[in-house]
Amino acid sequence: MIEGWENMSSDQRQEAFLAKWVSGEGIEFAGDEVKAAYAYRAGLIRDAAKLKKTPERTPVVVLSTFAPTMLAGCPAKKAMYDPEALGKVWVDFARDYDADTSGNPALVMYGPPLEILDYNLYKWPGHGIKEEQGYQFLEKPYMKAEDYDHFIADPTDYWFRVWFPRTHGALKGLAALPPVYGTMELPAAGPWLATLGAPPVQEALKALMEAGRASFEWIGKLLPYMGRILSSGYPMYAGGFSKAPFDVLGDSFRGTGELMMDLYRRPEKVLEAVDRIVPLMVGLGSGMAVANNNPLVFIPLHKGADGFMSNQQFEKFYWPSLRKVIVGLAEKGCVPLCFVEGGYNQRLEYLADLPKGECIFIFDRTDMAKARRVLGGKSCIGGGFPVSLIMTGSPKEVEEETKKLLDRAAGDGGYILSIGCAMDDAREDTLKAFIQTGKKYGKY
Amino acid sequence: MQELVNAIVEMMENDALALTKKYLEAGTPPMQIVDAYKEALKIIGQRFEQGTYFVPELILAGEMMNAASDLIKPYISAEEGKGGGSAKVGRFLLGTVEGDIHDIGKGMAGMLMDINGFEVKDLGVDVPAKRFIEEARQFQPDIIGLSGLLTLSYDSMKQVVEALKEAGMRDKVKVIIGGGQMDEHACQYVGADAWVTDAVAGIKYALGWMGK
Repeated sequence: MIEGWENMSSDQRQEAFLAKWVSGEGIEFAGDEVKAAYAYRAGLIRDAAKLKKTPERTPVVVLSTFAPTMLAGCPAKKAMYDPEALGKVWVDFARDYDADTSGNPALVMYGPPLEILDYNLYKWPGHGIKEEQGYQFLEKPYMKAEDYDHFIADPTDYWFRVWFPRTHGALKGLAALPPVYGTMELPAAGPWLATLGAPPVQEALKALMEAGRASFEWIGKLLPYMGRILSSGYPMYAGGFSKAPFDVLGDSFRGTGELMMDLYRRPEKVLEAVDRIVPLMVGLGSGMAVANNNPLVFIPLHKGADGFMSNQQFEKFYWPSLRKVIVGLAEKGCVPLCFVEGGYNQRLEYLADLPKGECIFIFDRTDMAKARRVLGGKSCIGGGFPVSLIMTGSPKEVEEETKKLLDRAAGDGGYILSIGCAMDDAREDTLKAFIQTGKKYGKY
Repeated sequence: MQELVNAIVEMMENDALALTKKYLEAGTPPMQIVDAYKEALKIIGQRFEQGTYFVPELILAGEMMNAASDLIKPYISAEEGKGGGSAKVGRFLLGTVEGDIHDIGKGMAGMLMDINGFEVKDLGVDVPAKRFIEEARQFQPDIIGLSGLLTLSYDSMKQVVEALKEAGMRDKVKVIIGGGQMDEHACQYVGADAWVTDAVAGIKYALGWMGK
């Protein structure tokens, strides 16, 4: 706990949490020089985020999923089944590409527990996807229209007893469980406990035990590598993960088509549901951030982009609950890092309605000059570099484009240079050209 | 009938279905009702193109159309069902390329092309180059739309274009690529004729190519 925390404002809490993060507390650095390099890199992010001081240069952040393993010739399947191979590749990637931050290799996930649970929400290499390719989301209306009231009354209960059985084949048995509430009194505890003993429930619990054991072993093998990334001087660009409530509902529960129709068919239910998700998403992001001693909470934004809905719909269904998550995370001292997928050219004015310097927006296809104009001095912006050029361009073209982007977007601080995509793949020469150009020409 | 058109256009789903039932039961010629839906869909398409309607309206319109055709079908004779289709603007073959299973954007593109008078054949997701070629031989499209969200789709799209060249079909069709990470760099790499990140832009290219 940080001293004086109770009486601090969001801004002060963010500053305190960021200072703790920048100090590298708890990390065993190889030496003072490495520790200083870590503090320098994390300090660039802090200064860009808080808008109080122009950093020495713009930080360079490469959002990545499978790119580090792909670049090292390690197929995606191996990355998801061999934590040591995965860890080693990520340690090498941080050092060899030398961006200012590393991603977290744990988000590549581990294949065996997904197999044990018969996980249906994604396809992954070797399971519906080629062994060389990263995982892909399989969106379906896992939540039915008539489920809204249950979801709203108790999302966690719904999650366990309805959503798990529908999205994890091995957890079908959980559907037989009664709610836990009876356990508050001895005479009513029986039904809950007796059902736990029923064979299908036992099978589901066994699967959870087994998946948990496999995952525990996996993280045990991966953690030393994550420690090495940090101790070699590279802070991670995400300490926690969260999502916009509308995306939670749309991506994992109702599916895009159904949710979009719900805006007409049952708008009040949608509003109640997204509001119900707000505290869950604040708790998720801040809990992970505290556990990882890193205030940055990564929030990928999906279904509020230009073209998905009108500004009126965005203003009613998407933005208010997202704003509450952002503000809620900031109140916990976390720094939300929204990865704004697609274009947000029609939405920038909404994003401008936040307290100064409390949130970071990394853009994908948004016009960066416009983003700078609307959000400059209000929130830190980032991104805007086309991944297509990394994949198909020459190092020279990448260098030119990086310089142009810096001219448009870097301003006098409050900018993080990054590619507008969490990369599944990349090319060595162009990616290195991007990072090096950013460091060289991103000086203020 | 204007009442029905309005109900559909204004997304009053229950009213639209109730009116459809009412007209059918009153003995209104079913093709007249079908025409009302077509007219409404056209207006919805226009609003989408003007940027006042978005994904929710397009998807709901599609649902209303499906529900209506289930209601109307029993009233239509085999003859009416077969004929009555107006002349098509052109043929559009569509699919998400190999390795990619995303389909929301593809679905919207297909629907808007249909509204704009194209005969659309949608091959689904994760479609290998070979299948595009086989289907193109059969269907003889004027335009092939390749959809993909992931960067890996660049290579899959390129393979389709290469395969079209090998089959001697490249100069007979226009190829348009669509998806969140498409731009001029990707277009050049793939060897497509146009790239788009939204379905409306795609319609404009398609109609332009067909001289409309």
